Amino acid sequence: MSSPDLANPPIQPFALEMRQISKSFGPTQVLRDVDFELRAGEIHALMGENGAGKSTLMKIAAGLLEDYAGEISVYGEKAKFLSPRDAARAGISMIHQELNLVPELAVDENIFLGQERLRGAFFVDRQQQVRAAREVLKNLDFQGQIDVPVSRLRVGEQQLVEIAKALASKARILIMDEPTSALSINESERLFQVIRRLAAEGVAIVYISHRMDEVFALADQVTVLRDGSYIGTLPGQSANRRELIRMMVGRELQEMLTSDKQNTAADLPALEVKKLWLEHPNPTPSRTMLIQNVSFSVNAGEVLGIAGLLGAGRSETLETIFGLHPKTSGGEIRVFGKPMTFRGPADTKMAGIAFVTEDRKRDGLILGSGIDRNVELSMMTVVSRFGVVLPEKETDLAKQTIHDLSIHASGPSQPTGTLSGGNQQKVVIGKWLLTKPRILLLDEPTRGIDVGAKAEIYRLVEQLAEQGLAIVLVTSELPELTLLSDRILVLREGRPTALLERGNFSHELILEYASPGGTIQPEFAEEEVLA
Amino acid sequence: MKKILSVGGKFLLRTKLFWGLAVLYAAGIILSPVNRHGVNIFLSPGNQSDVLRQVSNNGIIAVGMTLVIITAGIDLSVGSIMGFGSLLTAMLLSQQGWNPASSISVPVLAIICLFGFVYLVPLVSLGIRRESAKATGKASPATRITGWVLGLMAAGAALYFGSGEVEHKFGVLGVLITVPAVGLMIGAVSGVIIAKFKMQPFIVTLAMMVAVLGVGRLVAGPNQAIYPLDSINSTQSFTFLRELVFEIVPVPGIFFLVAVLIFGFILKATTFGRYVYALGGNEQAARLAGVRVDQVKIATYAMSGMLAGLSGVLYAAQYRQGLADAGTGTELNAIAAVVIGGTNLMGGKGSMTGTLVGVLIFGFLGNILLLKNIDSNTQLVLKGAIIIIAVLLQEGQGGSWWKRIRTKINPEPKASETKPIELSSPTKT
Repeated sequence: MSSPDLANPPIQPFALEMRQISKSFGPTQVLRDVDFELRAGEIHALMGENGAGKSTLMKIAAGLLEDYAGEISVYGEKAKFLSPRDAARAGISMIHQELNLVPELAVDENIFLGQERLRGAFFVDRQQQVRAAREVLKNLDFQGQIDVPVSRLRVGEQQLVEIAKALASKARILIMDEPTSALSINESERLFQVIRRLAAEGVAIVYISHRMDEVFALADQVTVLRDGSYIGTLPGQSANRRELIRMMVGRELQEMLTSDKQNTAADLPALEVKKLWLEHPNPTPSRTMLIQNVSFSVNAGEVLGIAGLLGAGRSETLETIFGLHPKTSGGEIRVFGKPMTFRGPADTKMAGIAFVTEDRKRDGLILGSGIDRNVELSMMTVVSRFGVVLPEKETDLAKQTIHDLSIHASGPSQPTGTLSGGNQQKVVIGKWLLTKPRILLLDEPTRGIDVGAKAEIYRLVEQLAEQGLAIVLVTSELPELTLLSDRILVLREGRPTALLERGNFSHELILEYASPGGTIQPEFAEEEVLA
Repeated sequence: MKKILSVGGKFLLRTKLFWGLAVLYAAGIILSPVNRHGVNIFLSPGNQSDVLRQVSNNGIIAVGMTLVIITAGIDLSVGSIMGFGSLLTAMLLSQQGWNPASSISVPVLAIICLFGFVYLVPLVSLGIRRESAKATGKASPATRITGWVLGLMAAGAALYFGSGEVEHKFGVLGVLITVPAVGLMIGAVSGVIIAKFKMQPFIVTLAMMVAVLGVGRLVAGPNQAIYPLDSINSTQSFTFLRELVFEIVPVPGIFFLVAVLIFGFILKATTFGRYVYALGGNEQAARLAGVRVDQVKIATYAMSGMLAGLSGVLYAAQYRQGLADAGTGTELNAIAAVVIGGTNLMGGKGSMTGTLVGVLIFGFLGNILLLKNIDSNTQLVLKGAIIIIAVLLQEGQGGSWWKRIRTKINPEPKASETKPIELSSPTKT
């Protein structure tokens, strides 16, 4: 898919050359003699499962990790970076998965943070800064405002600000760590165009990603790491999915994802939601509600998918059902026919609802504590008697969870912060299964986890549906949504626009209903008028 | 050899909490002067007993502070509560009839009794009938009414008991119940403000520290900053609180050690303790897991306040006076002891054993310096240094030295530690 003018330039020194890089964290060796070559003007994808060492390798290149073995040269010159500042001086800039912007500073202040344009010796020349920022951002198709705090921008725009920050520091090598993980499809597409243009201008780009579609769409070269070792490099055009998966996981995968979805839905509504609404915390004239008029019902054993772009109110719908905004939301919620009012998670938990949140590190896990301490938290009564914890029950429970969900861990008390993303997610799910929920709300359950773990989570979702759980699934990955859902509710800017039955699923249709300005199914349009 | 080193290293690591104390103790023995009979003064039972007596007040406060700090909070009001507690104790013991002290204490005791039952009865009943309770998660009206009835009865009993005590002077049992109850009330108020209004603990307890100090001075009255307390103006039984048991263990020390045991147990072995750690480790995760985070928070501040009140009673017994300003600076000593004991100010980590060690390190250090006749200002400097060194060894640079030593001992990377990849194993439930 990459355009012909991006063909490798004639022989010249590599923009970035890493030779025999090794790195250990304590007793664990995370990189073993890894080689990496990057040319100017090239988009080079770096792939591998979680824990393969992609981020570590690039952190070394960006000067974030100094204690390594091996050699680095930048445009033919040997380099040893002791700090990100060193690397930046050599023209290397890394954009992290978690954006590193100061939320309360304006766009231009963020772009020139640490390299402010000065007037005199001390005073920041905001005018010049804004002008320079506009210059840089213009090339990036940035459409937001410049003199507002970045916290007011959308995630996609913030991503562009990060790139602008890198470009403003004259970066010739740009490392992007999963830049699309928080972006909607449209925003990702815009970002790709920007990336292609930068490459055409001679910037060398390292693109770390899990998503194969993106890699096929973008990359000139693909390098695969596995368990800290270099596995191989393929030209982007000739790479195919099967081959890449084989390289990443080390064995052939017959069929990663089952497509023979059984209909396990019973004719018993487990969760009914009517006219759910949630106030916007900072309302604007165009949008006073984060969600409104959201109505649906899920039967026991059914998986209801919720589709929508970023900001469509998918997560907010789940949060509202779970009672996280008791004061600013309303609507009717029935659990197995019984009307409910929830004042908080303690209530919803008791009603048999479980919520696996989008950001497991922020909302789901106590990273410093072991699997045992995390799993039991949702239902301490299982491991205690009269308020006193029984240590052997605690350990048994953790072992049971580790076994049931095939969590790869050294033991029940391994801190969850040291587990890989997929295993962390399983701990969160295990914690909720302990409450014997009848309704399971899943928000981006496979975000940032590797292919293998994804397949396991899919199987788990199917099994739980078979066992009669009603599942509401929110995910940005359309293939995942169409694979797992029985029906899909599409949201657009906080309102439902369509309810699709299995068999009617197509990515184009979902996008049509999800995108602003697109069509609305008649029944939802009518409701709009009535409301 | 390597194996010995590795096992030894692991042992050192696991017990590193105690090594500072051991080294300090050894230094104490070596540096101690010896008296005419050749007895090492540091080791003499009298001296050891004195150290325990001296650390008890600070120690009891540090026990409560440990709970609060593990939740990632802080309680600056404990010093003021302790001073206020000592003042209340002195006034209640030495004055008859209704005065500001008794007019505050008795109603507060009644309120605490009422809400104690109203709150605890449904909780206990939920705990007993867990499966049936799970369906609703709410206590039945019957249990709630039972709670109110029992609470009102207890409150009535407290009022009866309190006004009975006011008639003559308070006895030792009276102050031991009443004054911690006042502390608990103050702590609970801080906790409610912190939890319900989502305010920072530092600010709320700072405000409480200032306010309680003011209330204490108001209660004492303009000309009565210090309330002297002796066997003439108070009930005889009060001296009990400064006696030695078996001629070696001071009573305040017993209170301290029992507090360590009880709250150590609560922290380590109860569901409440798990919630305390969870709250400090990741409040949002705990909240989403359905932990009633606000209640846990309020409870920790209430406990901290209660222990500070108790410490006030012991202070009054120890120094035979009540003084609203008695606790100035105590909160910082308690925080220092907790931190030396390895509890992290960021929350989620720490232990009561650590706090015991931290308190003892502080106590023995002061004692050694005293025996060496080092002046009190130099003592302060050395104490400051000890705080830094101890924390450094606990988690700062010291920790990474250990790690480096460990990797040197055991340099081979463990293949088993990297994540095995398994795709074909389907999950079974």
